[in-house]
Amino acid sequence: MPNQSPPTRYSAVAQGFHWLIAALIVVQFTLAWSADDLPLGARKLALLARHKSFGMTILTLAVLRLLWRLFNRPPELPPGMTTIERKLARATHVLFYVLLFVMPLTGWMMSSAKNYSVSWFDLFTWPNLIGPNEQAFNILRTTHDTLSWLLFAVALLHILAALKHHFWNKDDVLKRMLPFTKSERRS
Amino acid sequence: MRNLYLVATALLLGGAAAAAAASYTSDAAASRLEFVGVQAGAEFKGVFHKFTANVDFAPDTLASSRIDVQIDMNSVDSLDKDRDTTIRGKDVFDVAHNPTAHYITKSITKTAAGFSAVGALTLHGVTKDVPIEFQFVPGAGGAKLSGSAKLNRLDFGVGQGDWKSTDTVGDAVKINFSLVLKPKG
Repeated sequence: MPNQSPPTRYSAVAQGFHWLIAALIVVQFTLAWSADDLPLGARKLALLARHKSFGMTILTLAVLRLLWRLFNRPPELPPGMTTIERKLARATHVLFYVLLFVMPLTGWMMSSAKNYSVSWFDLFTWPNLIGPNEQAFNILRTTHDTLSWLLFAVALLHILAALKHHFWNKDDVLKRMLPFTKSERRS
Repeated sequence: MRNLYLVATALLLGGAAAAAAASYTSDAAASRLEFVGVQAGAEFKGVFHKFTANVDFAPDTLASSRIDVQIDMNSVDSLDKDRDTTIRGKDVFDVAHNPTAHYITKSITKTAAGFSAVGALTLHGVTKDVPIEFQFVPGAGGAKLSGSAKLNRLDFGVGQGDWKSTDTVGDAVKINFSLVLKPKG
């Protein structure tokens, strides 16, 4: 079917990517914060091993999602949004895509720099991106930590914006990303 | 008759001396002793920077050949300071009480690919037999002895408390060594 007019809802694939990655990001924050509180020990390494496995899963999903997104148009933003709102929405989504790549990549490089190679759920080991380097590790850790707070802030803005659209503007911006719903309200 | 016996004994001793294995010691800077462990599902490599190998070896006199290695456990380097501190600590190598490890071969045999030996490894205060496979290549001004071994760290009590579980740190450890040998003298 030629994609002439933009769809009014996100497709099942787009919704799948969105909610799966969103859930994994919540898991990632939970694992990272739990591990941060622990001293270096078997429990901490186990939590971080899971964090790395999920991180590589997110990176793989991000690649697939970006490829899919390049060939599939998303629904358009509802009319009535101001230019600044449109720019902010656009910037938020671009930043999300950037962080979906940069977060796992800085994490992967951190592990490489510390000579703790990344295993994927004990099934196989990803190659090291850089050689062991303490200074590089410290820079990468600061970057990874700082960007995690940026991701947290952007996610918060994203959630608040979705709720604002739903309850304040009463448009279908939230509903069209929700499975098992219909977009009755016209955008 | 008695003189003849003495002469025979002298000849035998002389013959044994002539066929004795050559004595070597390792060139510390050029030799390498590496271990490969598994942590959180991924392999990691480390080395021991300080160790001394004393080797008596000749391919045709394996009975009198011997490899003797002393390892300074404090010299462990896994390319991460945090991990090295943990490894030196009381739950792993416990270097405060067991600063050195020692390996000495008991028997060496010829194999298709080179040689294999069984030796006693004293690690973390525990002594157990560990087989090794190696190759011996004589060269100008010495020889090169390189090979590998496998052991289970828990056989030696390496990993107590938090590190006793093999969920995060595997039991099996691979050892790779490459010794550059110089004649003793």
